[in-house]
Amino acid sequence: MEHAAQDRRRRRRISKRDSLALLLLAAPGIVWFTVFAYGPMVGLVVAFKDFNIRQGIFGSPWNGFANFRYFLSSGDAWTIVTNTLVLNALFLTASLLAGLVLALMLNEIRGQFYRRFMQSSIFFPYFVSPIVISLMLQAILSGVGGRGGIVNDMLNVFDLPQLAWYTTPGAWPWILTLVKVWQLGGYTSVIFLAAITSISEEVYEAAAIDGASRARMALSITTPLLLPTMGILVVLGVGRIFFGDFATIYAIVQDNGILFPTTDVIDTYVFRSLRTIGNFGTTAAIGLFQSVVGFVFVTAAVLVQRRFQKESAIL
Amino acid sequence: MSTSELAPELTSPAGSIAGPGQRTARRRRSLRGRLEPFTVVSYVGVSLFGLFCLIPLWMIIAGSLTDESALARTGYSLFPHPFSLRAYELLFSGQSLFGGYAASLFITVVGTALSIYCTASLAWVIARRLPLVSRPLTIFSYIPMLFHGGLVPLYLLVTQVLSLTNSWFAVILPIMMAPFLVLVAVSFFRALPEEVIDAARIDGAGELRIFFQIVLPLSKPILAVLGLFYAVTYWNEWFMPLLFLSDPSRYPLQLILQNLIANVTNAAALPGATAAQASAPVYQLRFAMTVLTIAPILFAYPFAQRFFVKGITLGATKG
Repeated sequence: MEHAAQDRRRRRRISKRDSLALLLLAAPGIVWFTVFAYGPMVGLVVAFKDFNIRQGIFGSPWNGFANFRYFLSSGDAWTIVTNTLVLNALFLTASLLAGLVLALMLNEIRGQFYRRFMQSSIFFPYFVSPIVISLMLQAILSGVGGRGGIVNDMLNVFDLPQLAWYTTPGAWPWILTLVKVWQLGGYTSVIFLAAITSISEEVYEAAAIDGASRARMALSITTPLLLPTMGILVVLGVGRIFFGDFATIYAIVQDNGILFPTTDVIDTYVFRSLRTIGNFGTTAAIGLFQSVVGFVFVTAAVLVQRRFQKESAIL
Repeated sequence: MSTSELAPELTSPAGSIAGPGQRTARRRRSLRGRLEPFTVVSYVGVSLFGLFCLIPLWMIIAGSLTDESALARTGYSLFPHPFSLRAYELLFSGQSLFGGYAASLFITVVGTALSIYCTASLAWVIARRLPLVSRPLTIFSYIPMLFHGGLVPLYLLVTQVLSLTNSWFAVILPIMMAPFLVLVAVSFFRALPEEVIDAARIDGAGELRIFFQIVLPLSKPILAVLGLFYAVTYWNEWFMPLLFLSDPSRYPLQLILQNLIANVTNAAALPGATAAQASAPVYQLRFAMTVLTIAPILFAYPFAQRFFVKGITLGATKG
């Protein structure tokens, strides 16, 4: 009711001068979106061209699907596509679960000072840049001068064999997942905590009267009520599942080819080929492939969510 | 790429959100009584995760203050011994550190100001619910969240079309607006009291006057949130500089640090290959550089963290 009245008032006719002023206000944003968000979409024609810099984006000759064929037959396609999917699925699951568990546990902490201190501590990694993360990881895994490192020292204490981490590709999906949990666990928990505060206290009081323990409440009340939030985060995550976390992965792996079998994702592959081979057409084709498949994933995720959680659907 | 990492859009599962004061009072009431196992588990779990988050940071700080010879001989310890400030002396006596700070500051300050201005003004126009304008504009700024051109066209755009190579604007412009934050700002603006704005209109204020003198002053919370999200993105950005800056004297801090790492990374991965490098305080230098890169964040943190929580919560309740 109120909204309708508000809408009507807002829809009042506006004068020419007013619309000019509004256009002026919106202009920088519109220009930015046109150039930097839509411009590159137009630039994707490069994917269908035999691009060379002299003739430019529109002057270069067309070559149909040759770029796509080249990529798909190169043998790397399968590896980087599966890596992208596997790594992102691991990142998403692990950081959501960690966030959920942390939120449930933080919710139990009563001392205000301790609670706030802990919340700040676990949120902190969100502010740390990928480069710094990569350096911390090197310090922990390979130590100084490539020997030692805290993890290996600990393995030593338990009489386990030490590992040269930076030459062991099999370990990296897990290491990267752990990094993601470190980076986003606290951040995700804040999102869940925000949702927890909107759960009515009466539910808990009723449960307490029925003799429910705190653990039971967390499991049977809080967790189910957090499902809509979880759903949205999953949808957003699935929407990005094709855009491997480039900044973090590349900062950590750099050009260490030994680790590529398990860590090379579409974005790092594109960047490397762009820099070393300089083949714009093929790399643009991979980018287009990535965008289209990514778009399909987003749409599917949104549709599935609409089906099961109508009230909190994103679109 | 990093802007898409920003806070996800959320809707809250139920109704309005209780104020923090109210919340704690309620919690205290309902939590009187005996200590339950889950509570104990929670304290231990959260404390351990807290340590897990902070120890790497402490290692870096301690490492930056430990003499390189000790770093090489005994590895890391949690307490710097023997204590040494040599890396910091070296860094502060060189030019690149100050150049790095200048670049990072320029990118962060100018970028954040531009970002806030463009995001807020576009969001305001969308929030006005103008017929024929607002809805198309919403879709216009939503589509880039779902579909984008990718790296190659962006690279060509910045280097070939706009010729921004080696300009700090090549770092700022590509990540200047985050569609998600536009939508968060829209929902904030829509919740502003309509009466105040109507009153200004009746008094004859034009659209620009209303935006700058009434809307913006009322919107300090959302401006702070936008500013923080954007500032962190700019400060931590290293990929755009890597792509578009080739002149080392224009490198921001993250890229200087990245170079410091990359130059010995592969050597460091192989055991025994680094005897020669151990003589220069390579590791201590890297740690010191890292500390200097995150120092501004550490100083701003107590202030910023509050706003960040607010920003995420805002996204969570307004969605």
